[in-house]
Amino acid sequence: MITAGLLVLTLLQQPEQGFDHPKHKALFPSCTSCHAGVAKKGESLWPDPVSCTTCHDGMIEKTVVWRPPTSPRRSNLRFDHLGHAAKAQGKSLSCSVCHTLAGEPRMAVRAPVIQRCLDCHGIRTAHLAAPDTACTTCHVPLVRAESFTRQDVARLRPPPSHAAPDFLSRNGHGAVSRQTVGTACATCHAREFCYQCHAGSAPPRAITWLASDPRSTAIVARAAPATHGDNFAERHATVAAASTTGCTGCHVRADCLECHRPSAARGAGYHPDGFLTRHPASAYAREASCSDCHNVGVFCSSCHARAGLGAAGVLRSGYHDARPFFLVGHGQAARQGLESCVSCHAERDCLTCHSAVGGRRFNPHGPGFDGARMRRKNFAMCTVCHGAAVP
Amino acid sequence: MKHILALLVLFASPLTGQGYRLRLDGRFQAVGYRGVQLDSIAVTDTVVGSGGGPTTPDGFAVRCPSGAPTALFFRPGAIQRGAPFVTTADASLWGFGVRGLSAHAAARAAVDFTGSNAWPGTDPALQLLTAYAEYSVERLTARAGRQLNGNRLGMIGFDGASITVRDGRHGLDASVYGGWGLARGAALPVTSPALNPISDFQPGKRQLLLGAEAGWSGRLGDVRAEYLREVDPRTDYFVSERVGFAAVIRPVERWSVTGGADYDLAAGWWGSAEATLGYTARMVSGALGVRRYRPHFDLWTIWGAFSPVPYTAVQGQVSIRALPQMQVRARGERYRFSDADVSTPLVSVERSGWRGELGVTASAAPSWTFDAGYTREFGPGAASVGTSASVTYAPAARPYAVTLHGAAMDRPLELRFSESVLHLYGVDTRYDVSPSFRLELGAVRYAEDRQRPDPAAIDWGQWRATLRAVVTIGSGDDLGRLPPAVRRMPGGRAQR
Repeated sequence: MITAGLLVLTLLQQPEQGFDHPKHKALFPSCTSCHAGVAKKGESLWPDPVSCTTCHDGMIEKTVVWRPPTSPRRSNLRFDHLGHAAKAQGKSLSCSVCHTLAGEPRMAVRAPVIQRCLDCHGIRTAHLAAPDTACTTCHVPLVRAESFTRQDVARLRPPPSHAAPDFLSRNGHGAVSRQTVGTACATCHAREFCYQCHAGSAPPRAITWLASDPRSTAIVARAAPATHGDNFAERHATVAAASTTGCTGCHVRADCLECHRPSAARGAGYHPDGFLTRHPASAYAREASCSDCHNVGVFCSSCHARAGLGAAGVLRSGYHDARPFFLVGHGQAARQGLESCVSCHAERDCLTCHSAVGGRRFNPHGPGFDGARMRRKNFAMCTVCHGAAVP
Repeated sequence: MKHILALLVLFASPLTGQGYRLRLDGRFQAVGYRGVQLDSIAVTDTVVGSGGGPTTPDGFAVRCPSGAPTALFFRPGAIQRGAPFVTTADASLWGFGVRGLSAHAAARAAVDFTGSNAWPGTDPALQLLTAYAEYSVERLTARAGRQLNGNRLGMIGFDGASITVRDGRHGLDASVYGGWGLARGAALPVTSPALNPISDFQPGKRQLLLGAEAGWSGRLGDVRAEYLREVDPRTDYFVSERVGFAAVIRPVERWSVTGGADYDLAAGWWGSAEATLGYTARMVSGALGVRRYRPHFDLWTIWGAFSPVPYTAVQGQVSIRALPQMQVRARGERYRFSDADVSTPLVSVERSGWRGELGVTASAAPSWTFDAGYTREFGPGAASVGTSASVTYAPAARPYAVTLHGAAMDRPLELRFSESVLHLYGVDTRYDVSPSFRLELGAVRYAEDRQRPDPAAIDWGQWRATLRAVVTIGSGDDLGRLPPAVRRMPGGRAQR
């Protein structure tokens, strides 16, 4: 009886056939009369279509067109009917144990009732909440589920444990994987799945314990860890500087260079759309360190010069036109926004007044200036203004 | 010799197990905007304008260089048209018979079809961004060639070698790198003419660079220290010498404290620093911190001697996902510059400022995403207030997406007559022809109204059209044999 019941499980893998079991209940007192293969090695799991024509000949009943499946069942189950049939010898088990709900008639067959499997195997949880050690009871590793397609893999549902806040951290799935990567994890995943995120240097050794299977990338795993939160890109600098090793668990250098590569012609990456139009305010007050990615000469100055903003060796008109006396009162603005000044002005502009030799000898040194140290570090720089007579 | 090399290239066949990845990102843009034309007038011919300053008789504000007989001003010039085509290529090769050995290169070619040089970054036409060979195993990574190292001190580019050793069990790692440095923010040596568009003083030789860093990573946090020195080989003087520190502490789940600072050993002052308390949960994430910013200048310019002053800021940001379909965000910062120690009675300049942003992103219906934002900032030199909005239609399981976006902004500038109102609106489309081939097409209109009190209200209004194609090709998906640095899936993050 159990083998017959298990056969029904297989039948239900073919829902498009739409065989109406309850309607035929009077004709088939035994499941194995049609599905002999579930109990007998070498027999087919499926009935011979010819046997259907005994009734469905067009006269007694209308004809039907049906062919048994030719390809193996797409499944990642360890289950096989013969094995279960052998174990069920002498036990009061029937097909309906797995293929019907409690109290329903024998022929009210349906897809395997997973909870029945769990009950028999002593697993007292919901299917996906089963402990990691339980997966291999019923499932083979993904690499051995040869009939599975990428679409089948993509449809695998994640267990609730994967939704835990720290699951993506090394204390979450990292710790779990060191125990179960070869068993529970391998049920749904293979090495390529992990490499979707673990692309950086020195990936965890546990990944290599998994076999290789390109189908595993059908499950997309590019979620950022919970620690990233929203707007992480804008505040990642310090974390990235301190936790380089942690970053390289998932990121490769090319990820950083997506934004941190000097490129005048890229579209919006780090900056929002339309940033060009509002960059003056951001640049003046140094919202970020522009020069980390943009060279002042090749990026700022070249564009400003074309817009009529470059000083180009003389103190031209153009920019500070709202302040007629700006030249004689620019000190504070210059010390606050020196990076902005040098995006239009060359050193020789400033030396017109601030040179100790040939200029008007206005001293540009201000708070924090350590002349002795700078002289020691780069005497040549001092000579630009002071000539050989550096104080 | 050349013939032998040509034959080798011609008849070379891939070794067993050899693999490659190549990503081409090409972007063509068309842009046109009103240029400016420098003009002059005799000082004696200028008149007093409505603002009190000197102008031309027809109303252009002019600047009179001290002692010069002529005053200078800009008139509206001819329409400037640009048609830049920029292609970036990233390539990785592996499978040379030694596990962990690979080669990487990234280069950019840029050309302006109009020949007008109206677009920045097209000179030189070909730039080698990175090109290095890498040997990487679990405990060691060694690289040789042109590299870009990112760390607390910035993106450090150089032609040379680097080596990193790791002890994963104890969370320790250390790196040393050195070579001939590149200019900051560019993949060009400091001697390149392209870095000197305004005829500034320029170094005659590339700087020699030596850096080291070490870090520890543990369950409760990470710490890292870095040192970098650059030396001018012509004079043996320092170009820069800095140290940096950074740390992350994770005392309890969801909370973190991050901080860092850098010190300029050459100038003898602290550079930038920050400390931030962060909280990240499924529904809410936020950060509150203080930071200090001071620009860094190399010592082969005179700018460091001009004493740039830092500012100190208090900042905060929060993001709330009140509903699964909606995220609300807000952030703000208030900053104040240190005393510049100057007296400028004729020109008053703001010393403090603030900036803030409010925004919301909602997915009210499947495939539809709405985003709206409001930004406002005020500070020395400039200010702006603006709103923006966009709507994106990206149906699931469909290979295309369409975004309509628009923005409006006022941007008063403190130091010039150029207050303007700008409206921006455009459309962006994306079509994934295949997992390895993406096309993007976009157009945007900038409509500007410069509110100058003189005729030189040269508006910057323009149309821009963009066509972008991203192609990824490569051999096989046998990722197990890939070096770590290239284990990126086609269609993954690199496809952005």
